[in-house]
Amino acid sequence: MRRAAPIVVAILVAATLQVALAPHMAIAGVVPNVLLLVVLTLALTQGPVAGTAAGFAAGLTLDMLGTSVIGAYALVLAVVGYAVGLFHSQIFAEGWLLPVTAVFVGGLAAEFLYGLVLAVLGAGGPFWTALVRVMLPGAVYNTALALLVYPWLARFLRRERPMTTFRRLA
Amino acid sequence: MKSRQTQTEHASPLLLVILVAVSLAITTVYHREGQDGPLRTVRRGVLAVAAPIAKGGDILTSPFRAVAEWFGGLSVDRAEYEQMRQQNNLLRQSVAELEEARQENERLRGLVGFAEARKLESLGARIIGRPTTPWEGAVTIDRGSEDGLKVGMPVLAEEGLLGQVVQVSSRSARVRLITDQRSGVAAIVQRTRVSGVVRGSLSGDLTLDFVDKKLTPRKGDVVLTSGMGGIYPKGLFVGEVMEVESRASDLFPKVKVRSRVPFARLEEVLVLTGAPPVIESGAGE
Repeated sequence: MRRAAPIVVAILVAATLQVALAPHMAIAGVVPNVLLLVVLTLALTQGPVAGTAAGFAAGLTLDMLGTSVIGAYALVLAVVGYAVGLFHSQIFAEGWLLPVTAVFVGGLAAEFLYGLVLAVLGAGGPFWTALVRVMLPGAVYNTALALLVYPWLARFLRRERPMTTFRRLA
Repeated sequence: MKSRQTQTEHASPLLLVILVAVSLAITTVYHREGQDGPLRTVRRGVLAVAAPIAKGGDILTSPFRAVAEWFGGLSVDRAEYEQMRQQNNLLRQSVAELEEARQENERLRGLVGFAEARKLESLGARIIGRPTTPWEGAVTIDRGSEDGLKVGMPVLAEEGLLGQVVQVSSRSARVRLITDQRSGVAAIVQRTRVSGVVRGSLSGDLTLDFVDKKLTPRKGDVVLTSGMGGIYPKGLFVGEVMEVESRASDLFPKVKVRSRVPFARLEEVLVLTGAPPVIESGAGE
């Protein structure tokens, strides 16, 4: 329960920021995905179980906040949370290059899978338009944001083995 | 510690399989349930909770947006005016407030005039939330079922058609923009009276599809709602033809339409409450 508290807090805060702040940070229609950043950071710092559970919860929250199919983001973020979480033991969490790369690849995979799910459900758009207008710009934007927030978010979410420094990033 | 971690990682695929199955079940229920189904009811609850948060965000970020616009409009050296700016700080603030009220008044007059000219029953609303993901084009407005809003009602801006109400909670509603990739508006070209469907896209561009090739529109032609389908009243301005591409091998010409509505900067809208709230396929989310 004590372990879950920071996770729940992080998802609630991220959901609030996603509604209140993220839409006003849109660049050329691309809105940053704060909930995705929390899921990926959690997966990298705590592993696949936490990544999967947080991915499902954050995804369902995103589904509920939108007007599209409910369950699509929950499915995608659970899978991506699990997949990124598998690198948990291989990635040096105190560094910045590998986690940020993982955020880029994970973010791109999440948007790609979401587009795929929408296409399967008959609500998707043309692939190249989605890739150029949504997936790639979204992944770049989220990665840029991860450079700013990952160290602090990772420190907040990994309580049982506190991180002492992020000198490489500084 | 090691054994615990190994155990956890072995157990994780099971959790993933369970949650993937739950997600698929949720998606299935969503597609099968009606407007009052459990998932849509929960979503309406989420909208009711999220709307004040979105409104708070809108209010909190408005000074930053104003500052950004102000800096964007600068063309002279600011340093020269630093002293004057300090002296005039209070005065500037009150002038800005008055100007804001005047502009809002002008916009509302324009909106009311637009609806009155067409004898449409309408209700003014303020945009309080913008799209939360790049995949959708939907905004949140500060009117809901307590104000008489229903799913399917058309929404207008002074510059033309904006979209359609797709979710309603007690004090807020979500409007799907015509630029959303799931939107489709039955339309006609004013000059030739040829009909087609204006569709949105992921990029936010509008296209006029299924137009008779013999009556291919020209650049600058005005596109209006046709009234077909009973969703949007006939004769509402949708946009102008921007580009036409017609090849011999194509069944229909490719027609790009430009809306005059400034979707990203829009603040007030009109909901046509008098229009029949018929729900088109997929309109209710």
